[in-house]
Amino acid sequence: MLVRTPPDLLRAPPRAVAWRGPAAAILRRSALLALALIAWQVGAQHAPSFVLPSPARVWSAWSSLVVQPSFSADLGITLGRIGAGFALATLVGLPLGLLLGASRALGSFFEPALTVINTVSSTIWAIFALIWFGLSNWTTIFVVFMTAMPLILTNVWQGTRTVSAEHLELARTFRMPRRKVLTKIYLPTILPAFFSGARLAFGFGARVSLVAESLGASSGIGYRLRQAADLVQTDQVFAWTLTLVVLMLGLESLVLKPLERHLFAWKKRVA
Amino acid sequence: MNAVELERVSKWFGRRDGPPLHVLDAVDIAIPQHAIVALLGASGCGKSTLLNMIAGLVEPDDGAVRLNGIPAHAFRDWRAMTYMFQEDRLLPWRTAAQNVAFGLEAGSMGRAERARRVEETLALVGLASFRDAFPHELSGGMRSRVALARSLVTEPKILLLDEPFSKLDPDIRAQMHAELLRIARLRAMTLVFVTHDVEEAVVLADHVVVLHPRPGRIGEVRAIALAYPRDPLSEAVSEEVRRLRISLSAARARC
Repeated sequence: MLVRTPPDLLRAPPRAVAWRGPAAAILRRSALLALALIAWQVGAQHAPSFVLPSPARVWSAWSSLVVQPSFSADLGITLGRIGAGFALATLVGLPLGLLLGASRALGSFFEPALTVINTVSSTIWAIFALIWFGLSNWTTIFVVFMTAMPLILTNVWQGTRTVSAEHLELARTFRMPRRKVLTKIYLPTILPAFFSGARLAFGFGARVSLVAESLGASSGIGYRLRQAADLVQTDQVFAWTLTLVVLMLGLESLVLKPLERHLFAWKKRVA
Repeated sequence: MNAVELERVSKWFGRRDGPPLHVLDAVDIAIPQHAIVALLGASGCGKSTLLNMIAGLVEPDDGAVRLNGIPAHAFRDWRAMTYMFQEDRLLPWRTAAQNVAFGLEAGSMGRAERARRVEETLALVGLASFRDAFPHELSGGMRSRVALARSLVTEPKILLLDEPFSKLDPDIRAQMHAELLRIARLRAMTLVFVTHDVEEAVVLADHVVVLHPRPGRIGEVRAIALAYPRDPLSEAVSEEVRRLRISLSAARARC
């Protein structure tokens, strides 16, 4: 008897859908944006403008906002606070995570402390910061730090578990001193974990900075947001939100993505 | 002066359940300069422990290890002795040249001198044109050459190899054997390697130390007086392989 090939195998494989490539991606994104704008417009027509201002109104509020001199000042202040908090978090979280990961004794000793810190919400840190630092830059910096640092530390710490025992043994055969093992084996191994932790930490830090600023600052975007809310200037709130969204997207595509591509060029591309 | 001397070396490994495991029992080996010595034995006969002991990674519980006449615990010139693993153990984030440079980074050496040595060693193993390739872009044989270059870049006098190239295809493996012999002669090195592959021992070594298991001890030291290069398919090599197999199975029959 003849062996029959199942009919499915004879048929040509289905054509790949044309929804691929950069042009299609742009098209998809534009469609999503258009859809969101339409929904927003329709919603705005059925609500008073202090509840939901129309896209056109937000646009005009934004255009007049960005030309004000205080705009760049507020933006700079907030970014400076986020940057300072994040930099401190990296400065503390990265070496500490490495150290706790490289030493089992230190790691198991400090593990509970990290769990405790992680349970405290950012808002509570903001309130503490307000008590300790008052209306100063340090309030926001502290809150960003307390949010970002444990995230970076935890990620780096987890990353040290992926350090290969074989690589450590290799370093040992060359009698590499411990300090060099940290920088030449541990650090490069944990870099991807650090990077994803830092990205997460920066996002969280940036968001809680606004909470901190709206509670305990007399300048910056968070402060402006609260001011606008107090005066029921909903279009201003939207305009600031728009600014932040654009800023974050720009940071992601202009800084983080290229940096990641550069740092991890050694990784095998998964087709 | 002998390159490596082991004098009545014994080792026990503590176990969580049960009495300590007797790994090595009164092992005496003297390896002269420029010798190529194979430590041959089945798994569990302590041959890797022996190699690690020479490398100074494991301390003997009894007996003495001397390198160029110096007791191993006082030996400081770790560049003069390097270790090559069964796997290539390349750092994936480093290029071939950077991986080779790793061998020199434990100590302090000027940037220019380091670069010069790295290029020279890459050329020695025939990889000069792949200096900027990452490990995942290289074939198994090339990766193995990078690992060899990393062990050679310190210009060691003694090279220790733990089951070298055993994960490579037979053809590539034969190539690596030829390469290793060429470089060992060129640089007047002493080679000590661990293997369970009888043919590899015969093709490479001028002396084969047959180890018997449980506890590991020397069964026989056999001189292989054949001219290099040795053809694995030749009568003479087959005869040596046969004799060593008999010596090995005698050890198995006893335990």
